[in-house]
Amino acid sequence: MLLDYDRLGWLRAALAGFTALVAAFLLLPVVFIVLLSFGSSRWLAFPPPGWTLKWYQELLADPAWIDAALTSAKIAAMAAILAVLIGLLASFSLVRGEFRGRQFLRGLLLTPMVLPVVVFAIAIYAFFLRIGLAGTTIGFVIAHTILALPFAIVPIATALEGFDKSIEDAAIVCGASPLQARLRITLPSIRIGIFSAAIFSFLASWDEVVVAIFMASPTLQTLPVKIWGSLRADLSPVVAAASSLLVGLTLALMIVTALLRRRLSR
Amino acid sequence: MQAHSLSRGSVAGLPAGSGGALPALVLVGLFFVVPVVALLLRSVTDPEPGLQNYAALFGSGTYVRVFLNTFLVAAVVTVVTILVAFPVAWMLAIMPPALGSIVFGIIILSMWTNLLTRTYAWMVLLQRTGVINRALMGLGVIDEPLPLINNLTGVTIGMVYIMLPFMILPLVGTLRAIDPMTLRAAALCGASPLQAFRRILLPLSLPGIAAGGLMVFVMSLGYFVTPALLGGTSNTMLAEMIAQTVQSLLNWGLGSAAAFVLLAVTMVLYAIQLRMVGARRLAGGL
Repeated sequence: MLLDYDRLGWLRAALAGFTALVAAFLLLPVVFIVLLSFGSSRWLAFPPPGWTLKWYQELLADPAWIDAALTSAKIAAMAAILAVLIGLLASFSLVRGEFRGRQFLRGLLLTPMVLPVVVFAIAIYAFFLRIGLAGTTIGFVIAHTILALPFAIVPIATALEGFDKSIEDAAIVCGASPLQARLRITLPSIRIGIFSAAIFSFLASWDEVVVAIFMASPTLQTLPVKIWGSLRADLSPVVAAASSLLVGLTLALMIVTALLRRRLSR
Repeated sequence: MQAHSLSRGSVAGLPAGSGGALPALVLVGLFFVVPVVALLLRSVTDPEPGLQNYAALFGSGTYVRVFLNTFLVAAVVTVVTILVAFPVAWMLAIMPPALGSIVFGIIILSMWTNLLTRTYAWMVLLQRTGVINRALMGLGVIDEPLPLINNLTGVTIGMVYIMLPFMILPLVGTLRAIDPMTLRAAALCGASPLQAFRRILLPLSLPGIAAGGLMVFVMSLGYFVTPALLGGTSNTMLAEMIAQTVQSLLNWGLGSAAAFVLLAVTMVLYAIQLRMVGARRLAGGL
């Protein structure tokens, strides 16, 4: 009875009410920040005394914010491409390979996802200080690729596990070279996994704060580092404007994902 | 020959067997394993060989307090997250998909929104003059603004907010896997709803609660951003202390030792979790 939606009785109303409250709690900061970014109060009074676009103007007129956003996009794109390519190759051998230590390898490649990121941050920072990669774009991309790799491997490997390999074999029997079979049969079949991998690994880098704080230099700042710096200094409404644009980006990404998934899974 | 290459799929071009993992292995080995091991070695060699960093870490009241506070925050966050997530996951598991997808959409939006954005929103909401204090005072619930930020309350609210999706989503899976027939049978046999909950629904969902709870606990232990922004100076957490020790105090030996403690605790708990749910389900759940 407890798992029958139609026969829950009063409990259903209680559960539904609680779920609605939690949904409101989850939505509250996101909606609040967007409203706040249009408020005219410099001291973030709410409800705002009036509405304005001046924080957006201030944001877009500041080259430091634009630079930071471009740097973030560049690093996240490079990290995502590397993570998907390397993750794709790794997934094939993790799913299909028959060699000793396969489980260990899977565990090792997924470890960056569970290790506290602050430990990795100071470790890679110390390492890059020694080999001269601290504060460089290459260093940033390498560190973020490591963090993004598990987010690329998990969806690709899951998709590959769900793919019937005999279809690939059939293509080979019909005369395709094994490489052709993989490129033209297998890859298109697991494209949803590859697509998810690209989104997740991009976000893993785009949103990353901790490694970025250590990796950043005065001339190389990602968007999270810029926001972090502003938050520590003061709660300026310009941060609310920047944050709202990020919320808009998240929404756009969710919609694109939903649409593409629907199209790809046809 | 042909049959062999079919079964193993080993061809020039796209590597098979273990070859495909080579780039990943080199990358992770060189830029993950080597730096982390080097850091751990530093904890027993910097400034001189010996265990003095660990002695300093466990011998000082300040650092012991940081450890205790970290465990306290992680435990409180885990318990609150479980209590809030369970009813929501229960509802999501059985409610009509059309309504459910709205709630799922909200969960995903919250989860995908930039971490700093969410934390910033809580900083503003929880301020002394923030919306929550004003609303409570306006309603006459309180006379003085409550201290909601720069303390344990702020960290707990901010962290529970971030951890909820990680608890709700796997729990929905656990609850959906339970056969509703078992609960109908219990009701037919005369069990009250409370009895059915305590003796059937709760025990059957316990593996999911335990696995999710452990994940939330582990993630909370090493969390940096939210405690640093919403917590106070009197309740610094371990991750923040590690970053400060290295970045501001430049005390690499001590920072490395603290990092090793965090790493060891995390890995032990992670291993327990792997035992509980299996590597595959853990990875799939993310």
